[in-house]
Amino acid sequence: MDPFAVLGVPVDLDLDPALLEARYLAASRACHPDHHAGADPDARIALLDRAAAVNNAYRVLRDRWRRAEAIVELRAPGALERHKQLPPDFLAEALDLAEEVAAARGGPDTAALRARVQAMVDADWNALRDAVAAGDFAAAATTLHKSRYHRKALQDLFA
Amino acid sequence: MNAPAPQRLVIGIDLGTTNSVAAITGRQGPIVLRDADGEALVPSVVCFAEGEVRVGRAARALALRHPEQTVHSVKRLIGRAGAELDEEVARLPYRVVRGERDLPRIAVGGRLWSPEEVSALVLREVKRVAEAALGQPVEAAVVTVPAYFDDAQRQATKDAVALAGLQCLRIVNEPTAASLAFGIDGSKDGTVLVYDLGGGTFDVSILRIDDGVFRVLATHGDTHLGGDDVDAAVGAELAAALRARGVDPHTEDPFVRQALRRAAENVKIELSEREAATLQLDLGERGTHELHFTRAQLEALAAPLVERTLQGVRAALRDAELEPGAVDHVLLVGGSTRMPLVRKALGELMGKAPRADVDPDLAVALGAALQADVLAGGNRDLLLLDVIPLSLGIETLGGAMSKLILRNSTVPASKTEEFSTQVDGQTSVDINIYQGERELVRDCRKLGSFKLSGIPPMPAGLPRIAVTFLVDADGLLTVRAVEQRTGKEAAIKVVPSFGLTRDEVRRMMHESIEHAHEDMAARERIELRNKALAMVRGTERALEQADLPPDQTWSVRKATRQLAQALADDVPTEQLARAIDHLSHLTAQIADDVISAAVQRALTEGAGS
Repeated sequence: MDPFAVLGVPVDLDLDPALLEARYLAASRACHPDHHAGADPDARIALLDRAAAVNNAYRVLRDRWRRAEAIVELRAPGALERHKQLPPDFLAEALDLAEEVAAARGGPDTAALRARVQAMVDADWNALRDAVAAGDFAAAATTLHKSRYHRKALQDLFA
Repeated sequence: MNAPAPQRLVIGIDLGTTNSVAAITGRQGPIVLRDADGEALVPSVVCFAEGEVRVGRAARALALRHPEQTVHSVKRLIGRAGAELDEEVARLPYRVVRGERDLPRIAVGGRLWSPEEVSALVLREVKRVAEAALGQPVEAAVVTVPAYFDDAQRQATKDAVALAGLQCLRIVNEPTAASLAFGIDGSKDGTVLVYDLGGGTFDVSILRIDDGVFRVLATHGDTHLGGDDVDAAVGAELAAALRARGVDPHTEDPFVRQALRRAAENVKIELSEREAATLQLDLGERGTHELHFTRAQLEALAAPLVERTLQGVRAALRDAELEPGAVDHVLLVGGSTRMPLVRKALGELMGKAPRADVDPDLAVALGAALQADVLAGGNRDLLLLDVIPLSLGIETLGGAMSKLILRNSTVPASKTEEFSTQVDGQTSVDINIYQGERELVRDCRKLGSFKLSGIPPMPAGLPRIAVTFLVDADGLLTVRAVEQRTGKEAAIKVVPSFGLTRDEVRRMMHESIEHAHEDMAARERIELRNKALAMVRGTERALEQADLPPDQTWSVRKATRQLAQALADDVPTEQLARAIDHLSHLTAQIADDVISAAVQRALTEGAGS
């Protein structure tokens, strides 16, 4: 289900968080089962499905990476699945990075490594934004898959 | 134009481990409902001793005299099964056995009770108090549960509500309910951390309150951590103190266990106010012992438990992606937060003093009443967005847990997953559902299993069955399945691992109706006995006054004596009814005779004059 359509927000990588929040709360109010306790059973099941869809859509859209995935899937259905294969040299680098992170974790000083990984994630985001703007969803899909390794590394450093 | 539907009376109930409370929202806001003595707290205790079922304060008063027949803390058993209960059961003075499907059954009052049934008795008492306070029947309620209750525990609670003859409009998480009571006036918008330490459960929830919207960001907890655990530790310490004096406390004796538990609870409460306490431990025939206890001793015992709660607080902060400083208000809920140690430790972690604006014993019930008002259609401004506390998933190849709905997802939440067959012509697929955070299903709780059947026979892998897992606003899971190619709805029958099956709930509901018949029969019997007693007395008096032929006097006297004997022998109702019929038949004849004799006399006399 298209999360942008569910919440009635523009398909925009840089979606305004305030707008998203406002639409989410309005949609929740409109369909929350609590406010329709008196409705008939069929209507209540439909509302329940709708409320679940609204919550699911919000979960996707408030995270910029998942929002990007939703845009790619919407504009070029199947692109994410088709471009899963990543070049071997990239995977080798990603493996090295993961090992470096594992070794550094819990160590005295991870600040430098953290800054380096953060820069990688930022670069991914910029590349992704350019690809989406250019309508190159194959490149966007590949960037999304690649960035996953960098985001994972960053997350591990903070854990 | 349709007229607005008349508002239903919906109460909020805090069904606690130790006490339960009912509340309702009126024009001026939520109020707790109190009994004739002004008491709001109904002890969650049921006593089956002395041939009577007593609930609430009457039951609590008898707990020391009948420890084995008095059931308390049943909330710690509900929705659980098997080995996970062993430690729990070892501490209880009453007997819990493993019944069907390894489910706990309480052996008391000459039968086995499910925790749901005992809980229903407590709920009935709460309902009674509410109805007496309102002067009107109550049919529906919003009932609270610990936020960290899983699907099985929630479902079991909902079943208990139904067994109590109440329609359960919503299950609300206790900390969320408390936050409603705290933040409803709109002056405390911001981020709130609710720390809820009750008798048996601990929850922490972090919410954002914003213009009537209460949104839970994260929740954490432990459904087996609470004031009871402190009591148990203190009780063990008291027993150890006795042993140190050379007194064997005989802790295997249920009476002693109950006395120690009660003494420990009192010591804990007293030490919330002062630094040291002296108690007289009355062990009945084992004598009375004077013991001393200091707050430092208590805090040394409670510290590990408090530290466990702080771990939960840290985990919730992490899940909400918040630093302690970003929390605007720290709210205390639950009787156990009266312990100074809790306030001190939590204040240090959060960098601000916790507040108890709303009475920690009543906040949850008041919040439930606010939500009840929303569901009754009274309040449209309040919007509650709660989360599921534990991830839901299914077993995949090799016993791995495939999470479908992640913890802290806002409910309602749903996820549709496609399944297929592995063998040609396969018409059914078995799916096991689990709840928990671990990677292997063996480390998670199995909620149940279901069979997708009625799949059209096709080559392996060809059927595409879309299974939708939906968690509703109560945090309860429902499963639906549709075969995609044929559009055919696949039949699903979920067999729960815990709690009652749907059939059992139906049977128990039926039984409670039968019990209603029994109650009616009992009342009928009392009325019949009263009638018989009145007849015996009345007839004897009438015989003295009436002027009857000797043979009639004799037969009436005989029937009267038979009825008196039947009363004395406490014969079955039907036999008593027959004896009454027999006597009234005779006396009716006599009455006829007396009247006809009188008429005859009058006629004769009239004719003669």
